[in-house]
Amino acid sequence: MTADHAPFDELAVGWALHALEPEDESFFAAHLAGCARCAATVAETSEVMAAMATDLPQPEPSEGLRHRIRAAVEQTEQVPARAAEPAAPADRPVREAPEPKRTEEQAPRWRRSLPRVLVAAGLAAIVGLGLWTVVLTNDRQDLQTTLAEQNAFMDQLLSDGQTMVAPLSHDGQMVAMVVARDDAVGVVPAALPANDAETSTYVLWGLGEGAPDALGTFNVERSQMKLQTVGSEPTGLDGFTGYGISLEPGHQAPPIPTEIVAQG
Amino acid sequence: MGAVSTPVRRPEDAEGDAAVLRRIRAGDPNAIDDLYERFRRPAFALARRILADDVLAEDVLQEVFLSVWRDPSAYERGKGSVASWLLAVVHHKAVDAVRREESQRRRQALAEEELILDEPVAARDVEDDVVTRLVSEQVRAALGGLSAPQREALTLAYYGGYTQREVAALTGAPLGTVKTRMLSGMRRLKQELGDAVADLTGGALGGAPAPEAGR
Repeated sequence: MTADHAPFDELAVGWALHALEPEDESFFAAHLAGCARCAATVAETSEVMAAMATDLPQPEPSEGLRHRIRAAVEQTEQVPARAAEPAAPADRPVREAPEPKRTEEQAPRWRRSLPRVLVAAGLAAIVGLGLWTVVLTNDRQDLQTTLAEQNAFMDQLLSDGQTMVAPLSHDGQMVAMVVARDDAVGVVPAALPANDAETSTYVLWGLGEGAPDALGTFNVERSQMKLQTVGSEPTGLDGFTGYGISLEPGHQAPPIPTEIVAQG
Repeated sequence: MGAVSTPVRRPEDAEGDAAVLRRIRAGDPNAIDDLYERFRRPAFALARRILADDVLAEDVLQEVFLSVWRDPSAYERGKGSVASWLLAVVHHKAVDAVRREESQRRRQALAEEELILDEPVAARDVEDDVVTRLVSEQVRAALGGLSAPQREALTLAYYGGYTQREVAALTGAPLGTVKTRMLSGMRRLKQELGDAVADLTGGALGGAPAPEAGR
């Protein structure tokens, strides 16, 4: 078991550092529940981390924080103490994998406002793919640029407010995502081909019961995981049951789309 | 304040920490004030280092202390000290917050800073406390004893909140190498720190090989 266990030793350190990728994290969580050695490794790593925390300037938090915490405590009930041993190690927060609940009345499921964590988990998978493509090129400059873009992209998506994400496909492949927020709608041209901005424009359409509604125009310089704001319609987005993207000649949206290149 | 406000943990603090936690379990809200007294500074120092923002760091502290109040049984004895557990929770929530909130620019700047750091962060404005200085110097010396790639990997993950894959991308090393560096770096740190960290055994950092069978 000694040799076989080495990868788990590594994962245990990454786990304690909260630095594992989501797939490693769920894999290791299952192992940790039954492994005394890994539980000890996590504890040891946590002790070293605590020592590292002392190698920092130690300023005082504001005086108000103490009062805010006290006030919050006064208003918060404690959970009942656990009667028996908990089933799994619970000495740190575990990223939960919520069971997706879908009900009929919530027609297209992505239309629901997604909790941030869920959005992040789904996007992390997509972003991960993008990153690996670049890793293959083995160009460090590219890597850093991509990483920066992706972090910025995640920040945009997860900034305050509720976000809805709709994948759009063409021939069964996801080519873009529509991201609708309270105040704006945007597109991530994940795999949309670049267009010639001189002679053409992409148009984002809201699809519903009536005629398609042009929400805005945008150009794609290159396929990338970058959120481009398309329109800022404060209302009306809830009325759509789907979105479509068309490529149009000129710079204006026509009354109806000529050719839908992505839909979802 | 007073005697218990020292940010660094002395051995006798551990017993006191455990007693405070018992009072929290018993439902005594004053015990949260005591826990706050004991840990506010290292907790705040860590959260603001990761978040580079005092307001967000205080939000994290509030979340952490409230979660301890709500469910103090999340800490299990035999899994290390209360201090290491609490600071691990602070670290975890601060990293979650930085992945959610932090502006790209700030993150980028920190990463650059971290990458060019030849030495670990100096505790310049640490208060003039002998124990603090001593432990802090020990930690710095220990970090200085790591190879540059080990130090880079651990500081990016711990102080920067980067995932292993992000560390790999930032340092231009394969993911597998980064994982190995983090383990070997942690082993080395534990060795170098010696008495400065609680003496636990049975894990992969102890230098002992994996158990023969069963356990």
